[in-house]
Amino acid sequence: MSDYAPVNLSAPDQIEFELNRRRLAAPAGTMLVDAAYAHGVEVPVFCYEPRLGGPIGACRMCLVHVEGMRGLQTACSTQVQPDMVVRSDTDEVRDAHDGVLELLLANHPLDCPVCDKGGECPLQDRTFKFGPGKTQFVEHKRHFPKPLDLSSLIALDRERCITCFRCVRFSQEVAEDGHLIMRERGGDSEIATFTGDHYTGRFTGNVIDLCPVGALTSVPYRFVARPWDIKNTPSVCGHCPVGCNLELTEHEGHVARVTGRPNPNYSVEEGWLCDKARFAYPEDRAPDRVRQPLIRDAAATREVAIEEAVEAAALLLGRDGPHAFLLGPGATVEEGFLAQELASGPCRGALVAQLGLGDAPALAGLRAAPAAQLDDIDRADLVVLVGGDPANQQPVVELRIRKAVRGGGRLVSAGPRRHPLSGLGPSYITPPGRLLDGVRAAGPAFRAARRPLVLWDEADLAHEPAAAAELAGLLGATRGARQLELGADVNGAGLSALGIPGAADLVAALEQGTITTLLTIHAQPAESAGAARWAEALGRVGAVVALASHGGGIADSAAVVLPAATHREQEGVYVSMAKRAQRLRPGAAPPGGAAPGWELLIALAHRLGAAPAYRSPAATFAAAAAARPALAGLSYDVIGELGALLHAAPPATTNGAVGGGGADGTGLPLVTTLRIFGDAAAHRSDALSGVRQGAEVVLGAGEAERRGLAGAAQVRLQSPHGACTLPLRVDPRCPDGAVHATLGVPGAGVERLLAVDRSPVRVEVTAA
Amino acid sequence: MSRAAALAGFRVTFSTMLRKPEVIGYPERKTPVFPRFRGRHRLWTHENGLEKCVGCSLCVAACPADCIRVVAEENTPERRVSAGERFAHIYEINMLRCIFCGYCELACPFDAITLEAEYEMSERERHAEIYTKEMLLAPHPKPVPVRAEEPDAE
Repeated sequence: MSDYAPVNLSAPDQIEFELNRRRLAAPAGTMLVDAAYAHGVEVPVFCYEPRLGGPIGACRMCLVHVEGMRGLQTACSTQVQPDMVVRSDTDEVRDAHDGVLELLLANHPLDCPVCDKGGECPLQDRTFKFGPGKTQFVEHKRHFPKPLDLSSLIALDRERCITCFRCVRFSQEVAEDGHLIMRERGGDSEIATFTGDHYTGRFTGNVIDLCPVGALTSVPYRFVARPWDIKNTPSVCGHCPVGCNLELTEHEGHVARVTGRPNPNYSVEEGWLCDKARFAYPEDRAPDRVRQPLIRDAAATREVAIEEAVEAAALLLGRDGPHAFLLGPGATVEEGFLAQELASGPCRGALVAQLGLGDAPALAGLRAAPAAQLDDIDRADLVVLVGGDPANQQPVVELRIRKAVRGGGRLVSAGPRRHPLSGLGPSYITPPGRLLDGVRAAGPAFRAARRPLVLWDEADLAHEPAAAAELAGLLGATRGARQLELGADVNGAGLSALGIPGAADLVAALEQGTITTLLTIHAQPAESAGAARWAEALGRVGAVVALASHGGGIADSAAVVLPAATHREQEGVYVSMAKRAQRLRPGAAPPGGAAPGWELLIALAHRLGAAPAYRSPAATFAAAAAARPALAGLSYDVIGELGALLHAAPPATTNGAVGGGGADGTGLPLVTTLRIFGDAAAHRSDALSGVRQGAEVVLGAGEAERRGLAGAAQVRLQSPHGACTLPLRVDPRCPDGAVHATLGVPGAGVERLLAVDRSPVRVEVTAA
Repeated sequence: MSRAAALAGFRVTFSTMLRKPEVIGYPERKTPVFPRFRGRHRLWTHENGLEKCVGCSLCVAACPADCIRVVAEENTPERRVSAGERFAHIYEINMLRCIFCGYCELACPFDAITLEAEYEMSERERHAEIYTKEMLLAPHPKPVPVRAEEPDAE
């Protein structure tokens, strides 16, 4: 992790000061350690971490000499002052460094050879660079039982702890879960959870990155590799549309760890990752991973060579059309573009659609309002959260909102569900279809704010045109107001930028039985919204070719399965919900016979006799950028390390159904919720087995009483589209007037209740 | 050429002819190697039977020939293999690649690996040249004698 805050040396009002006899300048308010680092002087730190709030000066490592001040000063908590004269290279300072390190190591077990941090350890590095090299202590060191399980994901070694308070500050001041504390005092200080239970939460893994010693280490990565055995690749997370920048660690041919970037993207994730991003990587080696190409016919399923599978797929797609291409939310821009190229070339007339929401006309007004980036949330004096549940769906946004509220901003939320952020400010919970009431309730606060920011949920507002229009009106009428979309689909914005619509037309065409061959690209239609209708429609298609990384669903029935790389194993571009194009880079090669999707699609185009002029993801993206105005001006070079913003709006698509009318069916309106550890990735990853979440139905106490369900263990939900049976939980805090059910949990089947375009439905709830 | 000159030329020949031949019956007998000879590796255990190696991979980092592979695992109360928290679940040295530089021995923080006197490492298959942890923990089946340390030559 970068320990120092970035310093803008070209900002106006710089203060001049002297450091080690050099005349330097830094903006007013800069801490001495940051100013020194920006000018190439490393003042060692352990406890200092600007992302955790103010400095605490706990470790005393950053002592420097400031002329005119008595004794040495901690550079982490001293701001630069005009004409300050600072020395970090005197004998006195060196002596202090030696002494502090000697004390920090007095009880440190120095078991670096068995420590996972060894080789990438700030304590180790700084001891070599600034330490005395020998110790005067001959006494016995402290001993604690070790390692302790701080949770199923984090191992705690108290002997190694230097009590820098970083993890405690993260828990108390960033994630605000309040779990981690420093117990006892003085030499007995130790890290613990307040309750003595496991440290649970959505962001716990960040303390592993923060720990400057080996006291907090990752359990799934425990003893897997050493720093000299690995290769780190900067990439982007593919689990939600936030697009957090992260680093993939490769060891012996597979991704063995995910960490935050050492140089965080301050406009996106600020170095924080949610535990799903950090610990979902074992899904790449899950038992149901598709490792070899398969050809399935009436007699049997055969593993074949990739050439044979591509040939078979090309034969199916070479037949008379029309064909259809369906892209999952995790398909890259390159894969989307290659599908479009197939549809305009050899498979002329093929329908191309995405499983994501696609373009919703109701949202056009909102999207046209001035857009914000994630770091703008920090500076907003009012955050209006409309719909959604960022804590579970776009987790890192939660940390931004908490930061804004800590900084004096206010949060007003309106939406159909209670969520972990509801308690941070006034919250208007409205039944589905009545979000307008909530938006109106937030109106006065909005008009009174100076820098208000609206976070609106794509999936919730797509079907609430009145609320969307009201919100767009508010945004238009308030100076300085900005909006940020909470996207529903990982790369929904990227596929929409290519002009790929939602799947309403495609499913209708499938139902008519006119589609000859369906090619799915990272798509699991029978596990997505409208699952019942998809299952029915898929029965009427001539043949299915599935480009998939994992088995189950469509890969278990497709005539040809092309084994695809996951987002951790291939190159490509994802566009985040803030319209930031960012590059995926392969952390490791895909296993067995699997190959990146772009490579398989280009091979398919070759077999179909329409060889494209490009053979690499970079060239494919360049072609896409040249052909699609929304991507104009972008290339892999322009995107670079930190991403580049899309400036042009995506083309409007004809995707009739999204955003029409009221709810289908009778009974209670259905509110779907997503849980951070309740999706397919979390369920496949064995690392997350201790925290993964299942599906349930939640009813308010009054509603359950009225329907005679208070004692029911299981309930059956029936909508016009399908039915499912789930365990029931009665929650007195859950608002009445709606039934809440968990979406996205594999095998739970809540998707069957929904329409393909995710339009609102009503469900009948009965005891099962 | 005079006869005297010829005889003078054969002096070495004749004197050597009469000496008792020095033949060492290799492989039954082996020339003792010098104490600092660097031959086949050996992994060591503590007196209580626990392995000294904790699987830290520092030898892997030091190895210029990239011939060592270590996969570490965690000791459990039921299965304690080494004295530290972790142990080498797999410890392999590819003897075809090894250049016997001894850096692994220098890098080892626990004196778990040393280079010994044995040098007979020919095998009939290439894959047999990858020596496993079990092979390296056992004494070499073909020991080689070591000379007494020479008097200080400096």
